[in-house]
Amino acid sequence: MWPTEPAKTLISIFEAAGRYAIDKTEYVGGLTIQFWRGLRAIWKVNPITGSRLRWQNTVRTMAVVGFDALPVVCLIAGATGLIMAFQGGAELRRFGALKFVINLVGVSMTRELGPLMTAIVVIGRSGSSFSAEIGTMVVTEEVDALRTMALDPIEFLLTPKYLAMMIMMPCLTVAAVASGILAGAIFIYFTLDMSLGVYLRATFDALHMRDIVSSMIKAIAFGTIIVQVGCYEGFNVSGGPEGVGRSTTSAVVKAIFLVVLADLLFTAFFYFFWQ
Amino acid sequence: MSEPHQALKDRLRDGVEPIISVQDLRKRYGDREVLQGVNLDIYPGETMVILGASGSGKTTLLRHMEALSKPTSGRIYIKGVDISNCPERELAEVRRIMGVSFQSAAMFNSMTVGDNVALPLREHTKLAEPTIRLMTQMKLGQVGLQGVEDLLPSQLSGGMRKRASVARALAMDPEILLFDEPSAGLDPIIAAGIDELILELKRAFKMTIVVVTHEMSSAFLIADRMCMLDQGRMIAVGPVNEIRQSKHPYVRQFLERRPEASEEEGERSYLSGL
Repeated sequence: MWPTEPAKTLISIFEAAGRYAIDKTEYVGGLTIQFWRGLRAIWKVNPITGSRLRWQNTVRTMAVVGFDALPVVCLIAGATGLIMAFQGGAELRRFGALKFVINLVGVSMTRELGPLMTAIVVIGRSGSSFSAEIGTMVVTEEVDALRTMALDPIEFLLTPKYLAMMIMMPCLTVAAVASGILAGAIFIYFTLDMSLGVYLRATFDALHMRDIVSSMIKAIAFGTIIVQVGCYEGFNVSGGPEGVGRSTTSAVVKAIFLVVLADLLFTAFFYFFWQ
Repeated sequence: MSEPHQALKDRLRDGVEPIISVQDLRKRYGDREVLQGVNLDIYPGETMVILGASGSGKTTLLRHMEALSKPTSGRIYIKGVDISNCPERELAEVRRIMGVSFQSAAMFNSMTVGDNVALPLREHTKLAEPTIRLMTQMKLGQVGLQGVEDLLPSQLSGGMRKRASVARALAMDPEILLFDEPSAGLDPIIAAGIDELILELKRAFKMTIVVVTHEMSSAFLIADRMCMLDQGRMIAVGPVNEIRQSKHPYVRQFLERRPEASEEEGERSYLSGL
């Protein structure tokens, strides 16, 4: 008798692994195709050569993604900066190196926590809303209506969001880094009695150009992931309102995972190739 | 109904090419074949009603005519262009001669009714804004809606939303108008108003109209020809009177609104047990 029970189990494991690999490859392939189509359509969205309607959409999305998110981004980044100062201070004080809290907060906020915290807030606010908005449009046949009017849904829905995100993510990241560093100043003022001017000069001395460049590259990469994943989940909604809920959750989870993964890759790259 | 059909017969005799031609269309979702070799020709100026029970494949057939789904095999020609296998740019050209009114109206909820109707004009023409506004008012007027330009779709009733979606479909003066379940979810009076609107469009613009429905009264009122789908197969195509007098058992059952035999028997046995 063939296949035997163990052989059958082995085959089913291979089958499941193969199916999983195909699904994930399909997902990444779909995201990549969507990314290129969105990128190609940017010339139709920009204010110089693009359509007025799209550019207005872009400005509206910039306000929602960027300006409306500013208070919460600053608050979370500020709190993170202060937590970092307290935690770092507790250890560094034992070695009489409390002033290195300035370096710790400045470098970690700029290289790592500023872009990451911003990305996580933006995923929660905008990534989920992109997915829910497009998913609802799919369910109510609005995306089909766009196609029947010979309008490309990627160009009409995704590209304005992408352009808005590309402009606003670096701005939000700068705001987050500044908030974190300024929050660190509060700790330093009360522990070392250092003025803000001296603190800021010490922070700038600790930072290098590569820290700022890597921060901006990460901000743009994270923004790309948030828009692409949010919109892709939205465009692939199936199963009515329940499907919209599922896609929104999936957009948030996948975007957080991909952002952390991208962060790891960028950090490793800068560690090895740009010291 | 006989007069338009006579005109159609004349055109057929004159060798008029079909404006929509569906050839051996098959669509498979997993193991289920939703369309099983459907053939259908629709001629310029006629109103074709596609009938069928829920799940018979009529909406799937319409989605293929709208180029929203790719067939598993077979061809769909719109004015001679094979939309099942043509480049995106050519497809965009074909889509400009078609208007679609969706079952859910599919109005863009974030835009006003006026902006919804103006959208295709703003996107596909270089008309000045005052001209676009004038044309929007005109299109809304054609479907019996006035003074609603600045309202949001959510502020309209179901019937008004359907009319507004027809106005949007008419924006580019299409040659073909496709309706998916135009009277679904509407009360009989509003539904009759939508039927009247379709008849008016047919009279005024001599458009080719394709309507998917299972409302028999509506179908008999607006159709020049009808076809009926059953489990993905085309079981009857013909003029209204021919379908009305069809001897096909399923067509008869559908027209006479008789339930499935097994269900009827099951119901009887259940009732007798009470």
